[in-house]
Amino acid sequence: MSENDDNIEIIRDFVQESRDALENLEQAVIELGRNPGDTKSLNVIFRLFHSMKGTAGFLGFKNISSVTHAAESLLDMIRSGQMELIFPDHINLLIQAADFAKDALTELENTLDDKALSVKAEWLSSILHEALAKKPTAQVAGPKEAEPPIIAQKESPHTKPEEAMPPQKRIVADPLLGPEMLERFAQESDELLQKFEQDMLGWIKAPTDMDVVSEAFRNIHSFKGNCGFFGFEDLERLSHHMESLLNIIRSGGPVDHSSSAEALLSLKDTLRNSVADVSRGGGGRVNALEESLKLLKEISQGAKPAPGGALGGGRLGEILVAEGVVTKNDLSRALEAQSKPLGELLVDMGMASPDAVSKALIQQTKEKSSEEGKPKQGLIKRQDIRVDLEKLDSLITLIGELVIAENMMVNNPDLAGLSLENFNKAAKQTSKIVRELQELAMLVRMVPVSGLFRRMIRLVHDLSTKCGKKADLVLSGEETEVDKTIIEILTDPLVHMIRNSIDHGIENPHERALNGKPETGSVRLSASHEEGEVWIVVEDDGKGLNKGKILAKASKLGLIGEDVSELSDKEAFSLIFLPGFSTAEQVSDVSGRGVGMDVVKQNLDKINCKIDVFSRPGQGLKFTMRIPLTLAIIDGMLIRVGGSRYILPIMSIKESFCPKPSAITVSTDGQELVRVREEFIPVVRLHELHKITPDNENLAEGILIVLDTQSGALALFVDEILGQQQTVIKSLSKYISDVGRVRGVSGCTILGDGEVCLILDVGGIVEATHNQADMWAGAGAR
Amino acid sequence: MSERAGSLAMDEETDDMELDEDSQKDKFLTFRIGAEVYGMDIRHVTEIIGIQKITRIPDMPDYVVGVINLRGTVVPIINVRRRFGLPLKDYDTRTCIIVVNFNDTSVGLIVDEISEVVTITEDCMEPPPRVNRGPNSRFIQGLGKVNDEARIILDTHKILYDDESARSGGAETQ
Repeated sequence: MSENDDNIEIIRDFVQESRDALENLEQAVIELGRNPGDTKSLNVIFRLFHSMKGTAGFLGFKNISSVTHAAESLLDMIRSGQMELIFPDHINLLIQAADFAKDALTELENTLDDKALSVKAEWLSSILHEALAKKPTAQVAGPKEAEPPIIAQKESPHTKPEEAMPPQKRIVADPLLGPEMLERFAQESDELLQKFEQDMLGWIKAPTDMDVVSEAFRNIHSFKGNCGFFGFEDLERLSHHMESLLNIIRSGGPVDHSSSAEALLSLKDTLRNSVADVSRGGGGRVNALEESLKLLKEISQGAKPAPGGALGGGRLGEILVAEGVVTKNDLSRALEAQSKPLGELLVDMGMASPDAVSKALIQQTKEKSSEEGKPKQGLIKRQDIRVDLEKLDSLITLIGELVIAENMMVNNPDLAGLSLENFNKAAKQTSKIVRELQELAMLVRMVPVSGLFRRMIRLVHDLSTKCGKKADLVLSGEETEVDKTIIEILTDPLVHMIRNSIDHGIENPHERALNGKPETGSVRLSASHEEGEVWIVVEDDGKGLNKGKILAKASKLGLIGEDVSELSDKEAFSLIFLPGFSTAEQVSDVSGRGVGMDVVKQNLDKINCKIDVFSRPGQGLKFTMRIPLTLAIIDGMLIRVGGSRYILPIMSIKESFCPKPSAITVSTDGQELVRVREEFIPVVRLHELHKITPDNENLAEGILIVLDTQSGALALFVDEILGQQQTVIKSLSKYISDVGRVRGVSGCTILGDGEVCLILDVGGIVEATHNQADMWAGAGAR
Repeated sequence: MSERAGSLAMDEETDDMELDEDSQKDKFLTFRIGAEVYGMDIRHVTEIIGIQKITRIPDMPDYVVGVINLRGTVVPIINVRRRFGLPLKDYDTRTCIIVVNFNDTSVGLIVDEISEVVTITEDCMEPPPRVNRGPNSRFIQGLGKVNDEARIILDTHKILYDDESARSGGAETQ
């Protein structure tokens, strides 16, 4: 295979596209496993293998094409009914073929060829062919060297109809056709339909021009082909009949020019709507398909049906006629005299009662909304572009630098004291633009978690079979977006947690039944945005954590010394994150070695993610991972305490004021409180926390800033408020966190004069001062 | 003096460009703190800059005096005098910050004055004296012979990280 640049490009593209397609393939196969009669999944799988085979063949990758060809043949036999889908053998085979394809892609990426896979390919092809020859391979053993994943041949939980499962919030879009493929379909169809429209318009102007009719025929024909390929039956049928009509016209049949042109044009709109529906993830159904087909038939036989007749989105007049309120003649007369809305006219002419008209109007709006739904224009045009991540990173870093530089310019000490009206206007404008740039940059790197979540489906499927348990994965909040690097770092922890859930948490079906739980356990994976953080929750309904066991194991390992009974649930549970910790009695293949949770913790620390553990014995275990959204630029309030300056996130500031001495009291615990309207708010002296010498210690001579925290309001005592500015968050060097722990600080920034300034973390301040309960107990605020 | 420091750094660079990385192996940057001259392995030194405004960070060991803004990066600063338990001295024009880098983390070290770069081959290097010289002996990597004089060679990594109550790692579980 000659490796000139073009080919390399093609190979790379092939790898990318196939990778995407393969993700959907796995899901489709699992779907198929659940519903063996699911022809749609079957077709999807078939097509995926088919196209892989095609490109592989074109590029000369014999191994890949032989395996995909065999898989495709098997699928063809099954879908054409010549062979029954044998579960679980065939499903296993397909999964193995998919895995092979994945390996092949990696191999291609590295070596631009698939020679290394010849042994595996041969073996896989041969068992696929065996299956084809109707010799069901009961034993799915691997070749001597390679070790393909084997799904245990235990009593399959899937062939029997499942008991009623809780409604699952799955992926909204048709999960089987990848969004990329749908995109391409939508874009191509759009082009074809546009051309078709032009042709029709051309034909209307020149009824004898048969060339344009042929063009139209060809465009509709290609469109029909695409629809068929993707399995959109309604669209295929409709376009087929349109094509037939065009054929009759082309060959000079007795077809009425205007009605056919009109019908075809309006049907083109129908097609376009359905395509838009597809690109949004719908099924591409066509409303009132049968009527449209009937209409086409009539026209092709030479009839001249009324304009817009049965084509849906009925106009008011038609509806009234259909309801028998007015006759067609009356309608035409009214239309000719039309200068008022039709309904009014008819009422005026005494041909229809106001009631009937309003009823018809209602029906019209209903039909319109169901027919048109969302705007047709522009939706199909959504285009993607692949971007090198490095470029993106550079872009974002640069934008961060831009904000700092802009700050340094606008807050430049040289400008202090000057009155610069025009300059200030221009500066404000620049700031606004920079701010928008920055927001956009953050959005650009955000990626929905759906990709990550969907990968877990296969994992759960494999694990549950392997461990002899029944478990279902329930996903929610997949459209939640998170920075791309976070997704990558989250993968391992998620896998670990799910492994643990299925291996240790969820009991086997028998035990579950005994405990009155449904036989199939559920693992719930959800993502959501909560006050500046992304929360990812992994929850199972298994047997939960056993506090006693954990404490026992911990003391056995020497991890805890003191009085064990004093540890709260929370503290006990957090022990599981220590290296080497595991209460599993047996080390299974899947987990139990005690290396899972501490690796999880390490990964999470990398992205500054906090993890909460919640469990009820016998009921289940819930991990909540809280990832701070790296909103790298915030609105900050610059304040001064003594000689030190700080930035307070404006988001947390409720108000600020100079307190009157009379408003300040001290609670019995010695906690200072300030009275704000009807509330008593605890006061925090920042200078005490950070050991600074303030201008003065008298609260009444300084400023109190009331902050909103998760646990309540607090009043921060500062010397001066210096102003507001956009703040680029920079993290304090890793060394700082290695050597100490700075309380109440979430990061730092570089001020306009080049100095470093700390950014206060309101939650951290609360933690750092008193025990939270104490602080508010005196205030009686809670 | 900071010019001299800068030119020293440049000299070092040109040298490096002619020879390969291993040539940094036996080179040490010497500097003065108080009356004593010390040396440190130059492999970790990324630059030498003059003293500049330091922002104080609370909750830090006393020898970490704060952070500076180094071309947009926030770099923590250690005052080596404090680290050695010596009394502080006011900063003057000769005071320099040696920026070292370990595992992608940069830290600056404040020293009184930069001296020169010397070469000390392995055979001229002796292990630290076994006689306990006080709490600072843990920072000493060895004694190097330079022109018949013994120079104390410091272990940079220990200056940064060695601490009786040292913590490793960052965030705590909640």
